[in-house]
Amino acid sequence: MVLDVNAFIGKWPYWPVSISSPGDVAQKLPEWGIERACICSTRSLFVNWDDGNIEVGRAAREYPECFIPFACLGTFELSHRIGSHIHDLALCRAQGFRGIRLYPQHHSFHPLFESFVDVICEQAAALRFPVLLSMRAIMNWGVPSLDLSSMFGLIERHPRVPWILSGVNYLHEIRASVAYLKKYETVHLETSCVMGYEAIRKLVEECGHEQILFGSAAPIQHGRANLEKILHARISDIARESICCSNARRLLQL
Amino acid sequence: MMIDAHVHIGKSTRLQIDVDGEHLVRVADEIGFEKICCTDLTALFYDMHEGNRLLYEEMRKFPDRIIGYASLHSTRFGEEALQELERCANDYGMRGLKIYSTPQMTIAEPATIPILEKTVDLGFPILAHATPLECEYLMAAVPECRLMMAHAAAQPYAHGDWNRAIMAAKRYPNLYLETASSTIDTGFLETCVRELGPEKIIFGTDIPLLDPYFQLSKVSDTNVAADGLKKILGGNILRLMGLA
Repeated sequence: MVLDVNAFIGKWPYWPVSISSPGDVAQKLPEWGIERACICSTRSLFVNWDDGNIEVGRAAREYPECFIPFACLGTFELSHRIGSHIHDLALCRAQGFRGIRLYPQHHSFHPLFESFVDVICEQAAALRFPVLLSMRAIMNWGVPSLDLSSMFGLIERHPRVPWILSGVNYLHEIRASVAYLKKYETVHLETSCVMGYEAIRKLVEECGHEQILFGSAAPIQHGRANLEKILHARISDIARESICCSNARRLLQL
Repeated sequence: MMIDAHVHIGKSTRLQIDVDGEHLVRVADEIGFEKICCTDLTALFYDMHEGNRLLYEEMRKFPDRIIGYASLHSTRFGEEALQELERCANDYGMRGLKIYSTPQMTIAEPATIPILEKTVDLGFPILAHATPLECEYLMAAVPECRLMMAHAAAQPYAHGDWNRAIMAAKRYPNLYLETASSTIDTGFLETCVRELGPEKIIFGTDIPLLDPYFQLSKVSDTNVAADGLKKILGGNILRLMGLA
């Protein structure tokens, strides 16, 4: 069983990606060896986070065996209105979402200077609701990225949140992640952008396997190629299984 | 026969690399690469003479497995660089050139042109870590040189822009794309093959910087036809190096 904590539905605006609809993704992921996937919609990143969540909810109802819905949350601030609304994670959970994703780099907010982010984090900690914090949506230098100090500043402020660090790639980003995996057992790292030579083995050797989660950023990234680095990593079968599935099941309370 | 056209050997603290030929050949054996085309990191970033000599020593240990790229840490060394290329070809038996560009120290400048002309004389293909714009500049200056755009422009300085790389390669018959990269965008290889044909795509992994298994999967786990894959995974680089 392979459970992917970081997949998408929706269109990719920068270049053609032939797999985008929920049906396409639900068909393609098993071909790549991925049975289940936590999804959010790229519409949430590029158009409107709430509209994307509606798509995700619909996709999860249509393909319940394949998709685990995550809600992408952003700012309520608009050009003509102050953002006075408050996010309600209990409502998110009641609507069937199993976690939250934050993409500050796509939503024009700074995670350390917006009160709604602290509200989300406080609720997530209380509800043990996983929060995926994205450094980059996929491994590409052309897409926006979150700076390292903002990412870890937020974690330091809210260490009880079940965090999923996402989109980490560079050596110094990995080293910082390792430090936080060691410091807080609530912090997890998903592997979609971990591309380094022997990187998975080194992560497991240094941090153990229980905080590492398989993520692919499929179908924008090649799901099978991303899985191959886990399947060939020189780690124990127990560690491999944990990364591919059981860690995510535990975190998501499945 | 699978051949990895983009491998590094030697030392670099910045890249956190310190490997010799024995290590790389062992990895190649595990994956099934019959030959690996290596560039020495000291030659690429510090001292071409020292680094290329170190690579030659590793080539002698594994003559059937390691193919050498001569590397230049700068193309601004004039006659000294040209002589080094001749030494690498005639004394060391190297089969190609590796050059590296950064925004602060671009290789897209007149100083590079004699280097490219020398590679034409020597029959060397060039693996260039450079942006599509830089490659277009170089190809316009010396269209008969055979330039492989390392990472197919999916590298930091090119902002991961392999679509732009394809556009450039369509304009220049002797501009090729090499596949090693941190990016694994779905449809990358299929788009390259559809737009350029498999003859212009060169497989590489960038080990020991990147994980080789996802690099191989993003090429082999595609719907590209078997005869095209055979060229991409080895036939093309052998042809360019005159080893086919």
